[in-house]
Amino acid sequence: MIAEFFRPDGRHLSKAGITLLMLPFFALIFFAFLYPLVSLLSISVLEPQPTLENYRKVVDNPIYLTVLLRTLWIALLVSLLSLALAFPVAWLMARSKGPKVAFITACILLPFWSSVLVRTAAWAVLLQRHGLINEGLQLIGITSEPVRLLYTQGAVVVAMTHVLMPFMVLPIYGALRNIPADYARAAAICGANPLRTFREVYLPLTMPGIIGGFILVFLTSLGYFITPALLGSPQEMMIATLISQQIREYLDWPFAAALVGVLTLFVTVITLAFSKVFRFDRMMGGAA
Amino acid sequence: MLDGRTADGAAISLRGLEKRFGSLAAVDDVSIDIESGEFLALLGPSGSGKSTILMSLAGFERPTKGQILIDGVDCTPLPPHKRNIGMVFQHYTLFPHLSVVENVAFPLKMRKVAKSERIRRAEAALKTVRLEGYGQRAPKQLSGGQQQRVALARAIVYNPRVLLMDEPLSALDKNLREEMQLEIKRLHSELGITVVFVTHDQGEALTMADRVAILKEGRLQQISPARELYERPANLFAASFIGEMNQIPVDYDGGVVRLGGGQAIALPQEALVQPVPPGKAVLAVRPERVRLVDATSADALPVRLRDVVYAGAGTLVIGDLADGTEIRARIPSADSADLRAGTTLHMGFPPGAMLLYGGGAA
Ligand SMILES: Nc1ncnc2c1ncn2[C@@H]1O[C@H](COP(=O)(O)OP(=O)(O)OP(=O)(O)O)[C@@H](O)[C@H]1O
Ligand SMILES: [Mg+2]
Repeated sequence: MIAEFFRPDGRHLSKAGITLLMLPFFALIFFAFLYPLVSLLSISVLEPQPTLENYRKVVDNPIYLTVLLRTLWIALLVSLLSLALAFPVAWLMARSKGPKVAFITACILLPFWSSVLVRTAAWAVLLQRHGLINEGLQLIGITSEPVRLLYTQGAVVVAMTHVLMPFMVLPIYGALRNIPADYARAAAICGANPLRTFREVYLPLTMPGIIGGFILVFLTSLGYFITPALLGSPQEMMIATLISQQIREYLDWPFAAALVGVLTLFVTVITLAFSKVFRFDRMMGGAA
Repeated sequence: MLDGRTADGAAISLRGLEKRFGSLAAVDDVSIDIESGEFLALLGPSGSGKSTILMSLAGFERPTKGQILIDGVDCTPLPPHKRNIGMVFQHYTLFPHLSVVENVAFPLKMRKVAKSERIRRAEAALKTVRLEGYGQRAPKQLSGGQQQRVALARAIVYNPRVLLMDEPLSALDKNLREEMQLEIKRLHSELGITVVFVTHDQGEALTMADRVAILKEGRLQQISPARELYERPANLFAASFIGEMNQIPVDYDGGVVRLGGGQAIALPQEALVQPVPPGKAVLAVRPERVRLVDATSADALPVRLRDVVYAGAGTLVIGDLADGTEIRARIPSADSADLRAGTTLHMGFPPGAMLLYGGGAA
């Protein structure tokens, strides 16, 4: 019976089999994502009575737009920094064999064993006034007194990069691993020096992985909450913190919902723009 | 024809080439002189060092000892992208993000040829491999044979004077392989380029190459034209690696060999490819040179028939000599009608068919 639906013998799945397999996933998406999102967005235009007032509030007050732009800016910084750090790691992984790959993968995934909260707290410890980094800076004489590292945008960017970098490494590694070593040889014998080989062959073939990792990190950064809340300065809020503040401190659900609406709009537009240019189905590797 | 081509292929000289991977000598003291415009095949069993020699020629492996001279210039320390050598690989190595014509134009782009010029030359190279009109396709839209032809076009578009090929046809099916062999031969004679071709298909080596170099465990066994390789192999390895060879253990006294069954055969001088010291030796005879003779004939050796394998035009006859040594003969089927397994008949070796090698059987 089950075998009839799922065809473990390699024959094509029946329609019923496909539907059954996808059902739990769609159920989850519907109840845990679509339904809450739609009801939240409906709050933003329906309460207290049908109105666009909440959206006007977002647009009218420059503070809210500043927060939104700052969020986009930080997400961009985090994505770029992740890319810069992740590419060499992915390269090394793709070039290594057997136990070395396992070791590097373990190093990358190890932080996932602790929660985001713990990792963020760790950065707070490192960056605080008398933390390791400040002490170190003074020891080697770069500064004479502690500098403000914690509660800055820099702290937020660094800590978020730390948390999100693995999402950049894995798709790039996937793309790199799919490039046969013979391509580099073919390019070299055609007269390409190593830099040219990288630019003309490796870079274009890894692009789907880079774009994939970039989107993953960028979109995740946009909605990041704990790290900016704990390490950032209250004067330089990101949008997730703003939304939570509206809900918990001012109990202004309709306005918070309107902020979510604006954020969703941005995410949708950015995603669509990317998918116009790049194919999402290549995101998880598949260079060739 | 490609324009701007330089006249001839380069002369290549490998001098005492050695490549060690740890304690393993993948290539061990190999010296070969390849003439300008020659087609040389490197032939040998798996792991004999063929690819390593080719990779050293291309510059992907740095030899641990020895030199590689191209037209008298020592290229040993030169990186691959500075060697101006063409190469076709075993697996398809067309870049998937470039169209066919862009792939062929790639080496010209690396040489800073202007765009219109490189497209023109790439199209011309595609024409040389008979793929006109395929330029705009993606490599994946071509069959395996067509892809290797594009790879060939990419390897010759910049008029290199040396073309290296590492089993370029091994991924193709038999018909396509034969077609490509002809194609490569035609290109070779058209371009006058020096070709070094790795294969482990002896038929391919014998039909395509001017000379064949036989390798075993990193060492050069013999390098000669196909006919000489087949008819006068330099040692037992070469003898048994190319084609079939009967190997009969004998005692050699300097002029006469004595078989295990006691029969003596006087050897002509030509039977010794290299000097053989008296003592244990191996008498080698190709199965198609073995004759069926009358019992009364002077050189008749009694053979007990074990198998008669009919295969159309020819028949393979397998039997045992008096001492139990297996012997095979390939005779025209017309002569084999009344041969039966289990009977005894007589075989003889014409004087010109016998070769003697020192030591034990391979
Ligand atoms: N990078 C390497 N590291 C260690 N050993 C190697 C390396 N490359 C080749 N070898 C060894 O060197 C020997 C010769 O290898 P090579 O690839 O030249 O053989 P080949 O004649 O091309 O064989 P095949 O017909 O299987 O392609 C083999 O024993 C191989 O295992
Ligand atoms: Mg090989």
